[in-house]
Amino acid sequence: MSAEAVGAKTGSRWKLSLDTWAVLVAFLLALLVRTGVFKHVPW
Amino acid sequence: MADVLTVRQVQQVRPALRFLRVIPGVLLLAGVGYAGKLLEQNVGAFAKAHHWTFPNIEYVLWAIVLGLLISNTVGVPEIFRTGVATYEFWLKAGIVLLGSRFLLGDILKLGGVSLVLVAIEIAGSLAFMTFLGRLFKLKPKLTTLLAVGSAVCGVSAIIATKGAIEADDEDSSFSIAAILALGALALFTFPLIGHALHLSDRAYGLWAGLGVDNTAEATAAGALYSDAAGKLAVLVKSTRNAMIGFVVLAYAIYWASKGQAQEVGNKAKFLWQKFPKFVLGFLLISVLATYHFFNKDQVGALANLSRWAFLLTFAGVGLRTNFSEMRKQGLRPFAVGAIGEVVIAGFTLALVYGASKIFGW
Repeated sequence: MSAEAVGAKTGSRWKLSLDTWAVLVAFLLALLVRTGVFKHVPW
Repeated sequence: MADVLTVRQVQQVRPALRFLRVIPGVLLLAGVGYAGKLLEQNVGAFAKAHHWTFPNIEYVLWAIVLGLLISNTVGVPEIFRTGVATYEFWLKAGIVLLGSRFLLGDILKLGGVSLVLVAIEIAGSLAFMTFLGRLFKLKPKLTTLLAVGSAVCGVSAIIATKGAIEADDEDSSFSIAAILALGALALFTFPLIGHALHLSDRAYGLWAGLGVDNTAEATAAGALYSDAAGKLAVLVKSTRNAMIGFVVLAYAIYWASKGQAQEVGNKAKFLWQKFPKFVLGFLLISVLATYHFFNKDQVGALANLSRWAFLLTFAGVGLRTNFSEMRKQGLRPFAVGAIGEVVIAGFTLALVYGASKIFGW
């Protein structure tokens, strides 16, 4: 088995979908707002 | 040992490289989106200062039009493409954050109504697109992809179904091109028709969520009408997206029964894999907002973060739409898609009109 194949196989167990990444990032941002790291977000 | 080291190197370098590759495109999305925002502020002020009559064009439209201009004139250079493709990521993050502006009670009330309309829309659209595909003698799997793309949620549904029914790459390219081209047209026609018919924000938001296929275009078509319509369009479109697993499962079972796709083993696992997780994120943020986990200022900050995410999305919608590429895909699938979309748009408008009479919107 090539190194790339091993890497791909090992990595695929932890590979998250785009949806899941989007949810995680959104929740991280929400947490930063909740804890006061981002006090004001301008628009 | 050498193998182990190579594997580690591959694992360490790849995510970093992938991250670096998206940066130019994300900067382009941000630049185009922000230029749209500046144009909204300055063109209106300039016209007013010179006593010109000029319609108030929102940043949504400016960002899309600027993206379309770049994509269809100079084109998007290769270095930006990986980053531009992240517009779907920003869309989904934006939808999750938008959940903070919905109270759970509103979601249950509006979601209940939209769930009934979505079920009718999906059944009607699938039946009509299947009929059209047969009438135009399209390949059966191409017809399935077009039907799912029109009935449920555009490109995501086509990609999910392609894997499940083992359709050709060519068929999925045809279907995606048709759905994207028609989505781009819907962006401009839906708001015009909505204004011509004097639809309320609620009626229009429902219609955009039911009638526009791709989530990005549905969000943009809603936001082009009004903020309230945009919120509702996202809610209704998310309800449609939540149905994707059931529709794809039904088609996977159908094609497996004909011996043209693999049997579905664990159906619950299949449904979970296909379920759009951002819908759960949207609901969870809404639950947190309903139980005052965030104060008023924090909800405002989350809403603004959601707007910034959508700004990148709208720029991406324009940048990834290339009409000459779409023309290469052929006329027949596009014709089937176009006829289907016009009929579905009329059908969903009638549904919304009926619902607005019943519920007095």
